[in-house]
Amino acid sequence: MSKAGFTILFLLMAVFMPGIFSSEAAISVQCPFAIVDDQGNTTNPNVVCKHIAASDGFATMADGRVIYTFGFSDVTNQLPLDQILITAELDGRLSAPVIKVKEGQEVYLTLTTLPMAMRPDLFDPHTIHWHGFPNAATVFDGEPMASIAINPNASLTYYYQVPGPGTYMYHCHVEATEHMQMGMLGNLYVTPTQDGQNLNGFTKFAYNDGDGSTGYTKDYPLQITSVDPEFHDANLNVQPLPFAAMEDTYPLINGRGYPDTVNPSSTLGASPENNFKPSQNLPSLIEAEWGDTLLLRISSLATVRFYTLISPNLPMKVIGKDAILMRGTTNQDLYYETHSVTLGGGQSVDVLIDTSVIGPIASPQTFFLYTSNLNELSNDQEDFGGMMTEVVISP
Amino acid sequence: MITIKKNSIAGTLVILAIVFFFGNHQADAKIYGINGPTFSLRAMKGNIIADDGKSILMWGFANASGPRVRFQHPGPTLIVNQGQSVTVNLTNTLPVPVSIVFPGQINVNATGGVSGLLTREAPPGGSISYTFTANEPGTYIYYSGTRPELQVEMGLFGALIVRPSAITTPSGFAGCAYNDTDSCYHREYLYLLSDLDHIIHEQILLNKIDAVDNTVAYPVYWLINGRSGLDSVAKNFAPYLPSQPYSALARMHPGEKVLVRLIGGVRDLHPQHMHGSHHRVIARDGRNLKGPSGEDLSEGLFTTTVAPGQTTDAIFTWTGENIGWDIYGTVPHTCNGIPVNAQNPGSPGFDPGTKEYCPDHGKPLPVALPDQNDLTYGIFYSGSPNIGSPGALPPGEGGLNPTAGLFFMWHSHNEKELTTNNIFPGGMMTWASVEHPSVILPAE
Repeated sequence: MSKAGFTILFLLMAVFMPGIFSSEAAISVQCPFAIVDDQGNTTNPNVVCKHIAASDGFATMADGRVIYTFGFSDVTNQLPLDQILITAELDGRLSAPVIKVKEGQEVYLTLTTLPMAMRPDLFDPHTIHWHGFPNAATVFDGEPMASIAINPNASLTYYYQVPGPGTYMYHCHVEATEHMQMGMLGNLYVTPTQDGQNLNGFTKFAYNDGDGSTGYTKDYPLQITSVDPEFHDANLNVQPLPFAAMEDTYPLINGRGYPDTVNPSSTLGASPENNFKPSQNLPSLIEAEWGDTLLLRISSLATVRFYTLISPNLPMKVIGKDAILMRGTTNQDLYYETHSVTLGGGQSVDVLIDTSVIGPIASPQTFFLYTSNLNELSNDQEDFGGMMTEVVISP
Repeated sequence: MITIKKNSIAGTLVILAIVFFFGNHQADAKIYGINGPTFSLRAMKGNIIADDGKSILMWGFANASGPRVRFQHPGPTLIVNQGQSVTVNLTNTLPVPVSIVFPGQINVNATGGVSGLLTREAPPGGSISYTFTANEPGTYIYYSGTRPELQVEMGLFGALIVRPSAITTPSGFAGCAYNDTDSCYHREYLYLLSDLDHIIHEQILLNKIDAVDNTVAYPVYWLINGRSGLDSVAKNFAPYLPSQPYSALARMHPGEKVLVRLIGGVRDLHPQHMHGSHHRVIARDGRNLKGPSGEDLSEGLFTTTVAPGQTTDAIFTWTGENIGWDIYGTVPHTCNGIPVNAQNPGSPGFDPGTKEYCPDHGKPLPVALPDQNDLTYGIFYSGSPNIGSPGALPPGEGGLNPTAGLFFMWHSHNEKELTTNNIFPGGMMTWASVEHPSVILPAE
């Protein structure tokens, strides 16, 4: 039977025999304590229970082009559970919900896979891969060849004891080249147990440094990704996927190209294609008061190439890489100052920017952070934008 | 793309099932190669088979010291000891001049052959000899210094390992990478990463060497130790890969220090990501990352950039610390003498015998796993979250992990490179497996 025939049969069965497709039992959230808010906090402060849905969706590039995506959305604490099949439909986000947890916490992370609204012929499972998790267990690693993946209309609860602090990332690992190019990518970072102490004039820190040298005033996750629109169109149009020809022409930060990166709105990306659900929720505009120390949690989940990010006029101090404080085992401090960092897919750096280096200012000053692969300062054919954002420092 | 993927996986399954039944392990706790200090290599042509079934013409260095000279890709891993005077004799059966350069070695003397740009060369049908003293231990690459932009693409490269001579391997370890106990390891594995544009190889096959245009080169094959996709986990000298002898499957026990030697070949950078745990980069380009007073300058990473012509040595260890449940499951066992059903773990640290993390001893898996019908199973999943005790799998699922190790993918995280000429999965991927301590791995 042809794919179209299958689809029609499937739809007829869905309409006339709903019992067959009833899936309430398979959608479940496992949490040992009562969830008290939409962040997944529970009555036990050491236990967090989050719920993520995987589905397809659409995002709008900075030049206005709407592209088909696969993505995650946050459905933590949403009840009743079977309603998620409706509320999360076409709600895949470009830049998945930020996951921020504390070192030592227990995390119950439930993933519910929705059927693909635009691709009913696909029945892809999904996973969450906590990228960089040390001493991982395969069952919760999300790499499908060595693990399990959760089918549509069902849920899998991942369990983690949150490891050491730093900038990790997460993504779906099923058919990784496809699902990652399609956008199932997100920021994930861990704050240290040292937070709350008063060291070196700070109370928040990137790492358990013991001396406050990684202290910061404000932190921003910045995830580098990129999109090949031809690949996304082929997927939407049920065409063979052009893996070999994959060339990304929309370089993005947190799922947006400039100038959308500096749009403070958390509701971009709504279009008729996704029933006006905002799909690009994470601005990259970095705002500080003079004297603040900024922590930028930079990660890359680009699927094709390395990118170099430069901060030409504000020096960056690299203090961590891949969620490890930059110190040798003899406690030798390996921090260094730079104006550029280069990341391939799956790499992260933590950098501090001391905004006081520019000297006292009387009015707001804008600085730029952008890729020095200058041809990537573009939104596809539009010779403008791309992988760029701004740091605005107020007096 | 479902059809292609399924066929590709099914085909590979049949082959891999055979491979696994006849043993999938490396021959030794150490890297397989040929030992010096004198080597006889032949530059010759041959073919490799990619995991899409395509046969690709290559040029390569073969070991010419035995009675039967067999083409192989990559070239033989040359293993010497620090301080040895190394001689590499090269004969050339290719229709073009060929040479060898040894980045990282000083005072390389070339005798014979004809003069060339980077070094003296062996003309077609001719020979040449290179000598140098291997002064510094470490991981190195060697490759043709003659028209390298073409000849390295064609496969004329390999690895050189110099073993340290000023250290006695501590008891219990298999060796050391440098004259430094921090570099000692229980097992070592070599990963030579390369990319390949098959169009160039077809032009050479058709004798159209002048048509080769590197400005439009566009790799669509990505290889680890000359193999792509799931072929990477087949054993050393797998019979169905007659000219790609080197496995890239790393097997280990919990707690072991595993030396990972990474080498970049050919053209592009690759962010090599190791699932399972962080690794610590201890050396680059054959130099230990230590300061002048012994300060440790190593870097802990989960993804290492592998640049062409560059080498990196890293130590990987998986301990299972803080997983949160008893990774050895409910089968009877003890941790520091405490039986499995003691819900109170009562014992800090690791059991030195089983390498188990005792604070999690006896704890059940904190979540219930979904119904089998709601899951898709991987070929390396044992059916159980635990190490060493396989669980129930639906018919036809799993099957390539009979010892119930924990498999972790080690791969390029530029995910485009997980394809082989437009087919996913393939390309630059391999796995490491952490095996139960009772599973016998090659000599330690």
